[in-house]
Amino acid sequence: MQTPPAIPHRSEAIRAYQERGGRIAAVLPIHYPRALLRAFDLLPVEVWGPPQVDVSYGAAHLQPYVCSIVRNALSFLQTGGLDVTDVIIVPHACDSLQGLGSILIDFVHPNQPVIPLYLPRGRRASDTQFLAAEFRSLHRRLEEITNRSPSNAELMTSIRREETADEWLAQLHQRRGQLPLTDVQLYRLIRAREYLPAEIFSESARATLALTSPPPPGPVRSSFLGNGGSGPTLWPPSLVGEGLGERWHKGIPIILSGIVPEPMSLFESVAEMGGLVVADDFACCGRRLYPRGSSDDPFQHLAENILNAPPDSTRGHSIQERLDHLIRLTRTSGAKGIVFYDVKFCEPELFDLPILRKGLQAAGIPSATVEVDIGDLLSHQTLTRLEAFLEMIGHGWR
Amino acid sequence: MSVTKACAYHFNVNLMGRAFLRLQRWQAERKAATGASRWKSDYLAPPLKIAPRTKELVARHWLQGRYANLNRKVAWVTSGAPVELLKALDFYVLYPENHAAICGTARVAVDIAAEAENAGYSRDICSYARTDIGTVLSGKTPVGKLPKPDLLLACTNICQTVLQWYRVLAHHFNVPLILIDTPFVYYGEATDHAVEYVKRQLEEAIPVAEKVADKRLDERKLKQVARLSKLASELWLEIMERNQHQPAPISAFDEFIQMAPIVEMRGDAATVDLYAALLKEVDERIARGISTVKGERKRLLWDNLPIWYRLRYLAELLAEHGIALVASTYTNAWGELAPLIDPERPFESAARTYTYPILNRGAGHKLATIKHMIEAYHLDGVILHSDRSCKPYSIGQIDQRDKLIRDCGVPALLLEADHNDARVFAEEQVAHRLAAFVEMLE
Repeated sequence: MQTPPAIPHRSEAIRAYQERGGRIAAVLPIHYPRALLRAFDLLPVEVWGPPQVDVSYGAAHLQPYVCSIVRNALSFLQTGGLDVTDVIIVPHACDSLQGLGSILIDFVHPNQPVIPLYLPRGRRASDTQFLAAEFRSLHRRLEEITNRSPSNAELMTSIRREETADEWLAQLHQRRGQLPLTDVQLYRLIRAREYLPAEIFSESARATLALTSPPPPGPVRSSFLGNGGSGPTLWPPSLVGEGLGERWHKGIPIILSGIVPEPMSLFESVAEMGGLVVADDFACCGRRLYPRGSSDDPFQHLAENILNAPPDSTRGHSIQERLDHLIRLTRTSGAKGIVFYDVKFCEPELFDLPILRKGLQAAGIPSATVEVDIGDLLSHQTLTRLEAFLEMIGHGWR
Repeated sequence: MSVTKACAYHFNVNLMGRAFLRLQRWQAERKAATGASRWKSDYLAPPLKIAPRTKELVARHWLQGRYANLNRKVAWVTSGAPVELLKALDFYVLYPENHAAICGTARVAVDIAAEAENAGYSRDICSYARTDIGTVLSGKTPVGKLPKPDLLLACTNICQTVLQWYRVLAHHFNVPLILIDTPFVYYGEATDHAVEYVKRQLEEAIPVAEKVADKRLDERKLKQVARLSKLASELWLEIMERNQHQPAPISAFDEFIQMAPIVEMRGDAATVDLYAALLKEVDERIARGISTVKGERKRLLWDNLPIWYRLRYLAELLAEHGIALVASTYTNAWGELAPLIDPERPFESAARTYTYPILNRGAGHKLATIKHMIEAYHLDGVILHSDRSCKPYSIGQIDQRDKLIRDCGVPALLLEADHNDARVFAEEQVAHRLAAFVEMLE
């Protein structure tokens, strides 16, 4: 097996960026304009928890019924985990992140400036206009903070760089069956998009995809990456089924859905149980396959990127749109079932589950749910549940 | 509407229903007049005289709802939704949150929520939502029957939960869902582009609502509804502000019950009349020296939604110690925005009014509101209900409590519970915590 390129660790990426004069933006989940930050020479480094922190710091401000992503992020901040960053961006994804942004601004007062960002919950013309205006407002705040003022042309250059990285990311998702990577290796690379500069991520993805046979000619330049629930198929069968590697046939194919795959040992556990992740609907992964925008106005263009991304419970898509997307993803990826891997207390996800599962059942797609706290190890109960589900759908599969 | 349906509606609502509810009210008023109607506690003032009238008004609203599908278009809306638009189009407007609160007060919420839980809805989602989804799935309700919606209107100014919840309703009923998305106000003022965004959504909502209503919006009627909304909100604010008087003439527990019309009948003339009468009664209480708690010694503020299934328990427990709950950020929210309503500019003012509820503003703003109320109402302490089912109201309370104690020297208690799910309420623990808090107040 050929060796995939090494992925720089988060701290290495931050150090390298700072050493060449750049600054760091800590960004909370989920959607935000990467290109806008990079135009100000701010490297966005995302904070999804993280899992291994002393949660007592967060518990001094947040009740126990607040999800572990938010609680851990606050704990991480308070234990100095974000000291290397110059600004904190808090996108509005849910009531808990809203609350976190609010108490950071009003009570916690970190050393870095805190900038909230409201994401509209619709995809109407008014939503695009509002989001573009919100990005202009963010641009003004960043001008004040960084004393830089990138032009529209510079912003468009940054946008194109990010769009190229997003297209390489989509290739990784689509050609995963051909890659000489285990699931955990693949997702380490995919999730490196959370902190690597776009150009370095693109290079890592290109080098990894070059290990496939035949290597891809370049990033996918088509509009299928996101469809907002009503456009063309997200995963063209021609790409999904093409030249699948040997590994593809050695596991029970499943889809994982949820917010974030933490702890990452999840993938190792799934593999040990004979499962294979053939696609995902994670908020930090598959729901961020942003399509190219079309507007010449950079702010409008950035708004289009985000609003046309795949269906997401935190952006107001209807449950039917999510269901259609999951069914399509299942059909085109060849998955035999879906595991909803949800963070405890995550209302946006929990509200959709009963209808999604019922709809999937009607479509002949089995599903299972597990709830986790990202700070915990995978419990015996969770593992047993996963194993039972894989056994059930694996029966007769081989 | 067919003649048969019209007859059925008028027979059930305007003839039989109205007569029955009037009889109930008459009996209750008679009982009150003879002194037979009183609390079990000796520490509480007699119930408000207007209570039977409020009950009749609210019951009539739900009775109309029961038969509304016979003669009107029905809209289900969130409690902070810009309802004036729908009222002007003659929709019967139903508030699932109020329905859930009724279930909570009637102590049937857990049983109904279990229907939703059995269908897969997690106990970690809002108990209002679970209650109403339980009703939708099972038909169980203490109000007889809920009419099916022709339209849904969700406004995110109270939480994002309502959008998740209404997506479920939209899927279940397969009806249009209008979204009024109100960007959260982290700093003092909403940005211009946020207000413009809300205004534009309100304008975009008109053709959708008109299509469902099958009629055109009459701007004069819209202004008239907005005028009534403003009047009712102003009266409600005045009623609450009368509690700045010492001793307090009514309690926040009374307000939790009396607030139903300002939420679900905002824009109706009957609501204005009711609150005018309530204000008169409150003034009479002040004139006659009637206090809500006999021998009032301490005055408290309540933050967050009430614990609907333990209102009486908490009222009596506090009253025994001479403590009156005289103000609440929750009830205040339905009056404090009255000055922003401008009936002559219904869309512009609605965009601003509906962006500024306390729940759509930062945790620092809520702390400032609490501090202001402590001064205005001469309060001795604050109970912050840490409500498991309402994250936007509850996140920030730990810091708010700490700031009140450290910066203002005001005793503050964080009380863990849930507004509708009685399974979360640990009575003994609550009693101990309240007893310790009362000692601290002394």
